[in-house]
Amino acid sequence: MARVYTSSVIDAPAARVWERVRDFNGLPRWHPAIRDSRIENAEPADKIGCVRDFHLQNGDRLREQLLGLSDYDMFYTYSILESPMPLTDYIATLRLTPITDDDRCFIEWSAEFECAEEDAEGLINSIGNDVFQGGFSALKRQLAV
Amino acid sequence: MVKVVKSTIIDASVEAVWEVLRDFNGHDQWHPAVATSAIERNLPSDKVGCVRRFTLADGSELRERLLTLSDVDMAFTYCLEDTPIPLLNYVAHVRLLPVTDGDQTFWHWESRFDTPPGRENELKELVAEGVYQGGFDAIKEHMGLAA
Repeated sequence: MARVYTSSVIDAPAARVWERVRDFNGLPRWHPAIRDSRIENAEPADKIGCVRDFHLQNGDRLREQLLGLSDYDMFYTYSILESPMPLTDYIATLRLTPITDDDRCFIEWSAEFECAEEDAEGLINSIGNDVFQGGFSALKRQLAV
Repeated sequence: MVKVVKSTIIDASVEAVWEVLRDFNGHDQWHPAVATSAIERNLPSDKVGCVRRFTLADGSELRERLLTLSDVDMAFTYCLEDTPIPLLNYVAHVRLLPVTDGDQTFWHWESRFDTPPGRENELKELVAEGVYQGGFDAIKEHMGLAA
């Protein structure tokens, strides 16, 4: 089991960050690595079980399924159904927690998956840096006060 | 049931903050509300089930029991056993998380408790500001960081 954990601090209230990231079909609006996204079968993007079908800027196609979403706890969890990456059993969670003493937001994005041992380091680096940290950096630019 | 949640960012590594916080008998070293602390029956302070006896700055005493402690999660849970302040069924959770893109720590401190009727807001304020926010500010000072 390989594990990726990234976390950061965003200079905006958690509710504002959540408004930006909660749309399971909304990655292209805030994540620079994502070119387009659609939800299969015209389902709502907050229907648990819905599938997003999206492309990265490099043309790679992924399909991911929404497994859990909570507006109360401000997190969502999803799995990868199809991707060009050499991994299986991928489950990830994006979570926001308010920083109560200065109205900022603690953001965590983590994933677990199975892969061949020789692929682990490369996958951990590309998911952690390009996808997760890349998303954090974009949110910081977009939401900085 | 009252719920209190407070959190902050500490400008130090999670390992450094955990080293200070994990000592269940060390809070008199940094928390301004605690004058002295001792673990009953000479138990080690990281033995789950041990009880710490605090003398508060005003001379009153309270006892708290360690319910869980995890070095992997950098978290612990404790409850109040005897207290001069009417915080009933009080259970608190402390956990630390690393900020992976900076040398910082996210510190989350929350609790639930009952109070006598009508004193909910007063006691919530006391716990949130006096104990938790006061503790955050004190740790920053204790570790030599700008509050």
